[in-house]
Amino acid sequence: MNEQAGPGPVIEIRDLEVSRGGSRVLDRLSLSVAAGETYALLGGNGSGKSTTLATLLGLLRPDGGHINVAGADPAAEPEAARRQIAYLPENVALYEQLSAYENIAYFMALAGAEPDAMRMDEALDAAGLQPEARERRVGSYSKGMRQKVAIAMAVLRDVPVLLLDEPTSGLDPRATADFNQLVTRLKQRGTGILMVTHDLLGAADCADRIGFLAQGRIVEEIVPSAGMDVLALHHRYTEAAAA
Amino acid sequence: MAIWLHELKLFLRQRMALPLLLLTLAVASSAVVAGVAEVSRQHDVIERIQPQQAEDEAAVAAFVTVSGDPGSAAYYTFHATWDEPSPLAFAALGQRDVAPYVLRVRALSLESQIHEGENYNAETALPGRFDWAFVLIYLAPLFLIALLHDLRSGEREAGRMAMIQSMVRSERSLWLRRVAWRVGLTYLALSTPFAIGAAIMAAPASEVLAMLGLAALYVLFWAVLALLVARLKFGSVTNAASLAATWLVLTLVLPGLALLAINAAIPVRQGVELTLAQRELVHAGWDRPKEETMQDFFQVHPEWRDTPPVGLGFHYKWYYAFQHMGDVGVAEQTTAYRAGLEARDGWTRRIGYLLPAVGVQVGLHRLAETDLAAQMAYQDRIRAFHDRLRTFYYPYVFNDVTFTMDDFARAPRWGQTTTGDPS
Amino acid sequence: MSIVRRIAANDIVQMRRSRVALVSLLILLALSIVAALTSIAHRDASDELRARFQAQADVEFEGQPARHPHRMVHYGHFVFRPLPPLAAFDPGVDSFTGNTIFLEGHRQNSANFGDVRQSSLLARFGQLTPAFVLQVLAPLVLVFIGFGAIAREREQGTLRVLAAHGVSARAMLGGKAAALGVVAAIMLAPAALAMAWLVAAGGAPILPALALLAAYAAYLALWVLAVVTVSSLFSNARSSLVALLGLWTLTTILLPRIAPDIALAANPLPTRLETDIAIQRDVRATGDSHNPDDPYYADFRAGVLEQYGVDDVADLPVNYSGLQAMVSEELTSSMFDRYAERQFAQQRQQGNTALAFGLLSPAIAMRDLSMAAAGTDLEGHRRFLTQAEAYRFGIVQQLNQLQAEALTYADDRSRNTDPEAAQRVRIDPSHWHDVPEFSYRSATTAEKLTAAAPGLLLVLAWLLAMVAAFRIAARRLGRAL
Repeated sequence: MNEQAGPGPVIEIRDLEVSRGGSRVLDRLSLSVAAGETYALLGGNGSGKSTTLATLLGLLRPDGGHINVAGADPAAEPEAARRQIAYLPENVALYEQLSAYENIAYFMALAGAEPDAMRMDEALDAAGLQPEARERRVGSYSKGMRQKVAIAMAVLRDVPVLLLDEPTSGLDPRATADFNQLVTRLKQRGTGILMVTHDLLGAADCADRIGFLAQGRIVEEIVPSAGMDVLALHHRYTEAAAA
Repeated sequence: MAIWLHELKLFLRQRMALPLLLLTLAVASSAVVAGVAEVSRQHDVIERIQPQQAEDEAAVAAFVTVSGDPGSAAYYTFHATWDEPSPLAFAALGQRDVAPYVLRVRALSLESQIHEGENYNAETALPGRFDWAFVLIYLAPLFLIALLHDLRSGEREAGRMAMIQSMVRSERSLWLRRVAWRVGLTYLALSTPFAIGAAIMAAPASEVLAMLGLAALYVLFWAVLALLVARLKFGSVTNAASLAATWLVLTLVLPGLALLAINAAIPVRQGVELTLAQRELVHAGWDRPKEETMQDFFQVHPEWRDTPPVGLGFHYKWYYAFQHMGDVGVAEQTTAYRAGLEARDGWTRRIGYLLPAVGVQVGLHRLAETDLAAQMAYQDRIRAFHDRLRTFYYPYVFNDVTFTMDDFARAPRWGQTTTGDPS
Repeated sequence: MSIVRRIAANDIVQMRRSRVALVSLLILLALSIVAALTSIAHRDASDELRARFQAQADVEFEGQPARHPHRMVHYGHFVFRPLPPLAAFDPGVDSFTGNTIFLEGHRQNSANFGDVRQSSLLARFGQLTPAFVLQVLAPLVLVFIGFGAIAREREQGTLRVLAAHGVSARAMLGGKAAALGVVAAIMLAPAALAMAWLVAAGGAPILPALALLAAYAAYLALWVLAVVTVSSLFSNARSSLVALLGLWTLTTILLPRIAPDIALAANPLPTRLETDIAIQRDVRATGDSHNPDDPYYADFRAGVLEQYGVDDVADLPVNYSGLQAMVSEELTSSMFDRYAERQFAQQRQQGNTALAFGLLSPAIAMRDLSMAAAGTDLEGHRRFLTQAEAYRFGIVQQLNQLQAEALTYADDRSRNTDPEAAQRVRIDPSHWHDVPEFSYRSATTAEKLTAAAPGLLLVLAWLLAMVAAFRIAARRLGRAL
């Protein structure tokens, strides 16, 4: 559906250097995410996960290196880059006093689109939000339901890149499984997904590749497989985090 | 364009938005209603005094015409003057509650009459009037602060900032839209009642527009200030507190300090001094040789030099001569007193360039003609009228002409000079 | 008790580290000091100037040359209203009333040269006085410092932590109120010092000064309780701040302006011009001195003739013109008194209507009682007007009596035609020394306290209401923990 989503990478980061408050957070970070690929960035607190997302969104200016988001450089043209990105913060915050429909209509209008009711329903169906909840005020939603609203927006915007910030933290196992399925479906639509998380199991479940982030760079990158030794993986992860 | 409507809908759905806008509308409307009521009361008073004044004049005429003494006619007849409120006075009642807008004068020394005060209740005047200017100057900034203090910080604290930033095409225009609705609707709630009031009072369009323009500038000032504070990226609570503190300093504290400074720097005790001096001059007239007084008077009014001389006893021409010489004698102090008042007013205007609240206060009351300058303009008109009174009575008094009923009808009337005829 | 003290101590430490609290308190203290110093200086200068003008007027009156007494009736006298010492704390309506009146025969002039008419519109922003600082600014600073007292603890989750440690809701609120009370006490300190100085060096009466201080302490205390109570009602600091700012605006800025407007609209005063005309009309209706056949004066003349047993006024042992001047003055003066009473009664009604709004706004009650205790309320000005009128009547009648007794009727009648008679009617200036000087009797302590009582009762009622609200809030908070 989208032209940019060819076989090439939709996110490309090379030798990225970012400082916050005088100290270097990302130190020659390199990674790439292809269209239709899910990349999980794993790391402990302070490893630079959130900084990576903020830099991709053009909210932080890098000191050096090169970033490309579906053809746009967030450092030079943040608004152009953001047009290619759907972003789910760790806690999806919406306008509590508006319904799911109204939230979507509003946010889509911010992004310059005006979906009709049918398209919104399609997107909400795709995101798996039960129809009876859609007219209700978002203030009464659970975290999972809010995420679904945000996913519906991502579907509607039909952007090549989806950034997920700790999407499954605070979700119960059932909701986590739901969410992972949703990610898989989006991936099948050709979206390149970058998720930052410290949930190793979740990452192993739905990611095509996992990168271990420590001291601002990828220390190891693996491709999870069906018969992978998750315990060994966990051991490597904690070691990387400790390093 | 649709995004503007979305933004409006979102704004109106916020918990504080609609109640605050309605409150602004209600407060502005009641201020306008109160102002219009007060101004029509003032019109009524001016209308009401006319028959009373006519009755009083008739009673004076009844006994004066028995003797036909022109000196008594001038002595006993009080002439009413009044200062109609301007069409825009309803919006800024200003000093009209503490300064008289109806005053009677007679052909005697003016300085002992022109400073007379009005019977007002000082305790109710003390806190100031509840008028549209008050709502605009004091309350509108608070309403704006309530609506604008969490413009960005609110989104940040709700956790929506990153998502908004990731979706919005231009962040600048997002905030612009939001500020525009908040400020625009507040301004609308403030100005609509005013515009209706101005229409009822048939105020001239240019002045109405000027007032609306001033109000717009003032509202914009507070909006810009709120945005500047928002740039500091404090939390909503700090924003609200610092904006409210700024409001306090700009509208209560600094004007108070400025008043202290101005009144200390420019004392105006000449008012009392000149009335004390004037009384001495007038009453010394009784003891001076009449001829000296008359010679002094003829210096000022040579046209009466050749009239019959004053005899030994009392004569009104001598009486009016020393009455007038009392005024002439303190002319310098009168000018100094007035200069002092104008200096105070001038410094207030200068402070208005620094303090927006003072500037708007000065501007609104100038447009409404309810300030110190308007008060002095009324006094100028009274002075001109008093000159006409003297000029009217002098020929009778100096030429010993009998004063008849018809002459009472011929006396100058205030109405003839109230509008457009300063001569 | 010690847990309350512990919480209060902890809060005070936090306030000392909070820039907002520290800066706003320091600004308030600086303003208090500036207000106190300038107010004291202003009061002293004004009072001294008025005393000097009064002395000048007295000297000028006594220095008048030999004159016909009726000339002195028209020469008249100036009286100045002295400023009570506590005007340095709360000048009240002083600048909104004229402070000098010209007193003369047959006329009642207005008190003129009030500051408000001599000032630009700045005067309507309110004057920076110690009273204004405490009535208006201090509650706002208490709001700034205290809005988060409970709301922020709740927002941060520390409230539950404290509760888990077994701290009762009552102790928590009590500690917060105690800490804020310390702040209020600091705010009151410059005012208390100024007051002490006024009592010690300025001759201010001690009881009203103490009553004022106590009332301001109660006023600040009720605000302390209100701030902590409101703060306990909200789940986050921002809502608490907005609610308190709204409350402050309503009670301290909006209502004090609306109340007098309602009072004025309900009971509008006639203008001075109308009163003048009405008095003239009433005087004419009773006795028209310009009508030679007026029955009132005819009766008077008949009475006088009968009393002295003569047939013609020329045969009277006293000067009839003087007697007539006296009866005429008596007539006009009684009208002045009647209309003044009517006007005062109306003003009192307006004042009562406005004060009734003290039920909605403690600031209104506080302002009223503050002016009353300081002796700078409208009642003080009315007292001046009444005393000045009595003095006017007294000296005019004294001079009229001189005219009746020191002059002969024949001389008085022929003074305009006979130069020698004209000389004889000019009586010795030593008589002017016999005219007493005006001495203003200011309100006694009892009168001040009586005048302050309604406002004081309202403030105390507010304090009690706030204590009740505070206790309810404590119970409510206890249940919610």
